Amino acid sequence: MILTNKQIKVALIGNPNTGKTSVFNQLTGLNQKVGNYPGITVEKKEGICKLSRGVKAHILDLPGTYSLNATSLDENVVIELLLNKNGKDYPDVAVVITDVENLKRNLLLFTQIKDLKLPTILVINMADRMDRKGISLDIESLEQKLNTRIALVSSRKGTGIDKIKELILDYRSLSTEPCVNASAIDQPYFENLQNAFPEHELYKLWLVITQDANFVELNRHAVPVPDTSSFNTKSRSELKRLQQREAIHRYQFINGTLKEGYKTDIHAAKGLRATLDRILTHKVWGYVIFFAILLLMFQAIFKWSEYPMDFIDQSFASLSEWAKNVLPAGVFTNLIAEGLIPGIGGVVIFIPQIAFLFLFISILEESGYMSRVVFLMDKGMRRFGLSGKSVVPLISGAACAIPAVMATRNIESWKERLITILVTPFMTCSARLPVYLIIIALVIPDERFMGLNYQGLMLMALYLIGFIAAVGSAYILHKLLKTRTRSFFVVEMPNYKIPLFKNVAITVVEKTKSFVFGAGKIILAISIILWFLASNGPSERFDNAEQIITERHQGENLSEGELDTEIASYQLENSYIGIVGKAIEPVIQPLGYDWKIGIALVSSFAAREVFVGTLATIYSVGSEEEGTIKNRMAKETNPQTGGKLFNLASGVSLLLFYAFAMQCMSTLAIVKRETNSWKWPMIQLVFMSAIAYVTALIAYQVLK
Amino acid sequence: MPDIQTILVYIAVTIAIGFLVRKFLLPKRKSKKTCGSTDCGCH
Amino acid sequence: MKTTIAHLKRGEKGIIKDIPIDIIPVKLFEMGCLPGNEVELLQVAPFKDPLYLNINGSFLSIRRETALLIEVEKINETPEI
Repeated sequence: MILTNKQIKVALIGNPNTGKTSVFNQLTGLNQKVGNYPGITVEKKEGICKLSRGVKAHILDLPGTYSLNATSLDENVVIELLLNKNGKDYPDVAVVITDVENLKRNLLLFTQIKDLKLPTILVINMADRMDRKGISLDIESLEQKLNTRIALVSSRKGTGIDKIKELILDYRSLSTEPCVNASAIDQPYFENLQNAFPEHELYKLWLVITQDANFVELNRHAVPVPDTSSFNTKSRSELKRLQQREAIHRYQFINGTLKEGYKTDIHAAKGLRATLDRILTHKVWGYVIFFAILLLMFQAIFKWSEYPMDFIDQSFASLSEWAKNVLPAGVFTNLIAEGLIPGIGGVVIFIPQIAFLFLFISILEESGYMSRVVFLMDKGMRRFGLSGKSVVPLISGAACAIPAVMATRNIESWKERLITILVTPFMTCSARLPVYLIIIALVIPDERFMGLNYQGLMLMALYLIGFIAAVGSAYILHKLLKTRTRSFFVVEMPNYKIPLFKNVAITVVEKTKSFVFGAGKIILAISIILWFLASNGPSERFDNAEQIITERHQGENLSEGELDTEIASYQLENSYIGIVGKAIEPVIQPLGYDWKIGIALVSSFAAREVFVGTLATIYSVGSEEEGTIKNRMAKETNPQTGGKLFNLASGVSLLLFYAFAMQCMSTLAIVKRETNSWKWPMIQLVFMSAIAYVTALIAYQVLK
Repeated sequence: MPDIQTILVYIAVTIAIGFLVRKFLLPKRKSKKTCGSTDCGCH
Repeated sequence: MKTTIAHLKRGEKGIIKDIPIDIIPVKLFEMGCLPGNEVELLQVAPFKDPLYLNINGSFLSIRRETALLIEVEKINETPEI
């Protein structure tokens, strides 16, 4: 067997806020990829690191966790991976990342990992802050007490990374002996446990038992552990008491260890943190600063990204034109020019907004400010059944509900998390924006009132409506949902740090990529199908449109252009999609829409951003003449009233419909995955769409 | 006799439908119980 | 009435005495919230909730309702020289 090509499998483990990701980025550079763990939407980051000539390490960056007692799906990944010795991701060596300033707490996880009898390296990160904080370390003493090798690292300055590589390379010489004897907390119990399952490691058995008592059942298929349910000699509260004893036991050991190896000069500490906290969590200034940051964020997302978006829009329009001229004429060329290219354009156009959003969010998180926002907002949010931690998902929801729903994972209370998931899609996501923009431009006068532009006001009102709908329905759900569990809230308040450019850049690139390739594929597939449905029909009438229309208008002396328009619109009416549109017309007529809007509406249930594209297809199929979609839409008349199809009443009705309706298959899919049932996404779909229909109906009937 | 372009269109549409069906109707693997389906008090 | 973390004033310190294990999440005592450890109240959010603490060197915030469950003994610090 050739062993020279073998990669050393390394798992990076650590508390959140220890700079674990920075270490990962330093080790792997851009040589990394982000995927998902099978079956769940927990991000899996892995990369390759060259250790020396011919030897590489495969590095897996595990989700941040405070201990091996999982309280969330992300943390559970760490435990399942470490319990499964036969799994393909089971590491050869564990690298535990700690923050020199929080060494005491960070070592708790380290002592647990050591109990798994894995070769373990301890990385003490943020070494650059030691001087300022008056910390001195006796590495040798620590190595001896903790039974490990230590790398003192500053991921910010890039020092000590070579030491990690060196230690990984030499992992076989690492001790696998635990440093704390956990079974000392209840000797007889642990002896019995070991006797009952002699072939298993004791600490793993204990983790399996407490995991079952605390959180989710471990996936038995993934983890080859014995069925410990027969070994139920302790009640839940006794187990919890033991866990507390375990924590105390570990802290005693850690305190003893640090007493010798860790010195801190208190007078050098303090300072910046306290001052910043006083300002950023101030009862007035705290909110002022937060809203100022929000304002800046929205300014960036909507105003600054306008320019790249216009550019993308125009580029794809000309690309489409170009394809039509250059490729040989035929149906497949039409598919490319009318379906594929606009479809890809519809995805690419969101890149600037998504990138700006993640730029801001990752800066706020990296700097440590986000925890202060959570702290500041918790009380207010709780009144609506939400948590301070719901702020991040709600803000993210202004870009896209998909990452927003995933960002709810760190909310401890299930009820608060569920409510956040359910109401987030009300936030005005960027996919609604193009719909809003085109309809506002059509029906709201571009005039000023007291210096304020009506169109701008309407757009702002729609964002406000989205937010009010979100917190309002949260309040109702809060009153309706009954829960037996207490809600808990523990937020670490990390140190303030200047965000590292590299970390921020990698986050932005990764998140944008996953949007483009995740949501993008769906949008693309839908636009292909839509195009097909609009260009094919089931009956003779579709196929013989040209003949039928030519005969019908014989002797009327129509120009070539007019005749083509007539043919195309007749064809559309008889295409598959036209038939669907006609079929739902009675339902949407009271809202002021015709069958063409109906088609756009139906296709929007796959994804809202399809709306403008669909209308573009529908109205452009109708005419050869040049002109923007907006101009064509403005010319449409309502066959019922004879007036303009897009007027104030039908426009406002459409805007409200889009504000409330749940028209995003991807969000439904993600909600299903996060709640693990079809119940909640279905409730979302039905209720949000019902609210949308009713408000749109009222708006049209009142304004008409 | 359908021309090559028509065939290509049908292939593209089939791929698109196949992709959506796989994405939404046939989840690859049954995900396990999460901290969510019950009031398990995930602490 | 017993003194809890919620009864501390800003800047005051206490020693944790008793914790109702059954209703306090494991996560909290893993963060160092254990009997015998020192706790300092650093900040109180607007509307008096949540509380921002330094427990055993860890900086974290918890809600008032949780803080009310954790009994402490106030340390009467002599002002530093």
